[in-house]
Amino acid sequence: MSKYKIVHYINQFYAGIGGEDMANYEPEKREGFVGPGQAFQGNLKSEAEITATIICGDSYYNENMEEAKNKILSMVKEENPDLFIAGPAFNAGRYGMACGDIASYVEKELGIKSITGMYIENPGVDSYKKNIYIIETKNSAAGMRKAVKSMSAFGLKLLNNEEILSPSEEGYIKRGLRKNIFVEKRGSERAVDMLIKKLKKEEFTTEFPMPEFDRVPPSPAIKDMSKAKIAIVTSGGIVPINNPDHIEASSASKYGKYDISRFKNLTCEDHETAHGGYDPSYANEDADRVIPIDVLRDMEKSNRIGKLHNYFYTTTGNGTAVANAKAFAAEIAQELISDGVDAVILTST
Amino acid sequence: MKVKIITNNPLVYSLYSEDYDIDYQEISYEGILKKTRDYVHKGHELLTHPLSGSVKPNETPFKTLLISSKSKDLNLESLSIIEKSIETSEKFVQNQKKYPADIEKDFMEIDLSLIENVINKLL
Amino acid sequence: MKLELGNIEITDIQFSNESRVKGSTLYVNKKEIENLILEDEHIKEVKIDIAKPGESTRITPVKDVVEPRVKVSGDGGVFPGVISKDETVGTGRTNVLKGAAVVTTGKIVGFQEGIIDMSGKGAQYTPFSQTYNLVLSCEKADDIKAHTYERAVRMAGLKTATYLGELARDIEPDNIESYETLPLMKSKEEFKGLPSVAYVQMLQSQGLLHDTYVYGVDAKQIIPTLIYPTEIMDGAIISGNCVSACDKNTTYHHQNNCVVHDLYKRHGKDINFIGVIITNENVYLADKERASNWTAKLADFLGVDGVVVSQEGFGNPDTDLIMNCKKIEEKGIDTVIITDEYAGRDGASQSLADADEKANAVITGGNANELITLPPMDKIIGHIDYVNKIAGGFEGNMTEDGSITVELQAIIGATNELGFNKLTAREY
Repeated sequence: MSKYKIVHYINQFYAGIGGEDMANYEPEKREGFVGPGQAFQGNLKSEAEITATIICGDSYYNENMEEAKNKILSMVKEENPDLFIAGPAFNAGRYGMACGDIASYVEKELGIKSITGMYIENPGVDSYKKNIYIIETKNSAAGMRKAVKSMSAFGLKLLNNEEILSPSEEGYIKRGLRKNIFVEKRGSERAVDMLIKKLKKEEFTTEFPMPEFDRVPPSPAIKDMSKAKIAIVTSGGIVPINNPDHIEASSASKYGKYDISRFKNLTCEDHETAHGGYDPSYANEDADRVIPIDVLRDMEKSNRIGKLHNYFYTTTGNGTAVANAKAFAAEIAQELISDGVDAVILTST
Repeated sequence: MKVKIITNNPLVYSLYSEDYDIDYQEISYEGILKKTRDYVHKGHELLTHPLSGSVKPNETPFKTLLISSKSKDLNLESLSIIEKSIETSEKFVQNQKKYPADIEKDFMEIDLSLIENVINKLL
Repeated sequence: MKLELGNIEITDIQFSNESRVKGSTLYVNKKEIENLILEDEHIKEVKIDIAKPGESTRITPVKDVVEPRVKVSGDGGVFPGVISKDETVGTGRTNVLKGAAVVTTGKIVGFQEGIIDMSGKGAQYTPFSQTYNLVLSCEKADDIKAHTYERAVRMAGLKTATYLGELARDIEPDNIESYETLPLMKSKEEFKGLPSVAYVQMLQSQGLLHDTYVYGVDAKQIIPTLIYPTEIMDGAIISGNCVSACDKNTTYHHQNNCVVHDLYKRHGKDINFIGVIITNENVYLADKERASNWTAKLADFLGVDGVVVSQEGFGNPDTDLIMNCKKIEEKGIDTVIITDEYAGRDGASQSLADADEKANAVITGGNANELITLPPMDKIIGHIDYVNKIAGGFEGNMTEDGSITVELQAIIGATNELGFNKLTAREY
């Protein structure tokens, strides 16, 4: 029997090329295994062989997604492997996004089974768990040995077309996919059992957890506000006059980012609201009522805050799909972080 | 209560156009839901459930909805129901192209039946 | 109220020149049933078939399934207000031809749905692959409306089941089960110390092909009310519902309501099962508000500690279900709900059209969008050409060898929301 062929994807760091300084490294294909690939090969033994390793810088991938994806895809295509393994990325956010994205893309475009490994809180998990299997790992490379072991075992199962059991049995992160199975008792009996447990205040497990309503733990308090850079983000729909980007009055599909560096105070001459869910007259009269630029400028002057960020972000909150809102927030947060913003004032209407 | 009918069902249109305020448009099932959402945004209240009928959204081409003819403040309950319904209908895989005329007529009948119970009650 | 169910186990069904039950075989005189059905001028022609478990037979499009029962003693007769006079049923003795069923099919509307496979992969998803079925294929008279035709086929099923049930009147049952519900205050006294529990049954009530009848009354018209569980066993609730095959309750499901049976099993031991609240699922949003207010009020009025709520159908009823659950929970009453899911073919979409965090105890009958490939069958009863038009079907779903790929929702009772089956869905 011939060995299964595997292509492995890693970032610049694990390839030993360098850290953040080398994060713009363009995709490169090398023969055989590189870095953590050695450990994989050890676990895969004689059943499969890593024939090539693709290396790409995290910044390069995340900033040139289309280009990176397609370059890597053609490299994978040349190898025509049976399995594509990305990572593991542990808790590295951009590496996780890259692993999740490229693995999803390879599986979708080439029909090649693809897996990756991440820590449960890696942002790549939520974005890609529906597309591919993500093996749960520890939050740092200290968990490499274990991660490689479980990813290899799971990869071999996929290669051998073995039945994939539940997330807890296999060690992958729940993908949020509902699958039918037969159980021992009929539904009504399960219902009565559950009710009796509920009445007795005993623990029970619902068969369908309601969609989660996000509860976000607050960040630690800012110690010195006089040095903090503050940004303002709103779902109140404030936009420059005439709504240049046509943000929808409701069920928004986008958000806007606007420069306020030259404003000390917003007026009806320069700003208005695009929001269709409340009486707009007060907001249109004076947009400071929704995003208090005037007050924040005063605070900036008296040094109660360090600096007001040069841009504000805005969308309309009414009827906007949670998934959209989440996606907006993820992008906005990323930008705010890279712009060195310490805290955000979020206003709603 | 004064109501407004939004429909793409010609049968509903022919029966009720004389006596009711009716917005009849030859658009898709989903188009009707979105049209209704526009009205809700403008402050009309949703009076019937958008997913009325267990006939699936990818199955029947016809949909009739009732809203209040008066518009007031945005009704959040209405907005929430119409948004969830649009989301639900979008997940059904579109798999029918065109039905033969007799089946199309059956779908019109069902849609009419779902709404006439309500209209009769309002009289 | 106390009812005995006398079960006569049926393990075969055959045509014969005399209708009777001998041993565990049900013999049926075809001609007599034909005459009975053709009494109704709205039915032009009826074809009668037999379908047994394990046979290579597919029945489609199925409208209703009815279990033959007869009232041997106690007030009234089966299907009160429809077949029998409007007397309160649920007491005395009712005999049941256990294992037999009357299945009606008919092309009420062009997209009629519902498959029963008597063998193969599809058989494990429907309870009616396990029953000995007498199948009535009713052709409508020319130029009658869908409403009239639906009613005619509904009545054909009930009349035939009543006719067959009569054959069980004087037969000594193989086993007798006994069910009793005391008047509320007595029940509370008798089972002091046990948490009292009610069952909230939601009935499909939206319009043509979406109706349910209670003592013959269209459930759209009711305000939520109380009913003894044993009344349901005597056919107080019947189905006029033809759509959403996988999660509609056939008359058979009502007669054998599994929530009622499973609550009775724990009655007097872990709980005090005091009775049933029935409510509806109307289209008009104001009706939904009123019905759910009343359901919660009745649960509160009865002073129960917990309820099980069962749903029927897709989409619109999700809103009623969540409203009921929320309002009952707000009264401080523990609630478990039974539903099913439409999570898309890949299972990745949001399952319900409505949700609330108070619904923290949910039983699911499975994902109705999941695909299933059914092998070809030697014999088809009904009209197979409609399979690509039905809710779970799609164009191009039939391969040359005769196997068909459909969503589970095409199969009768597959994701039943009374919890009739062992199917569930889990997150993977």
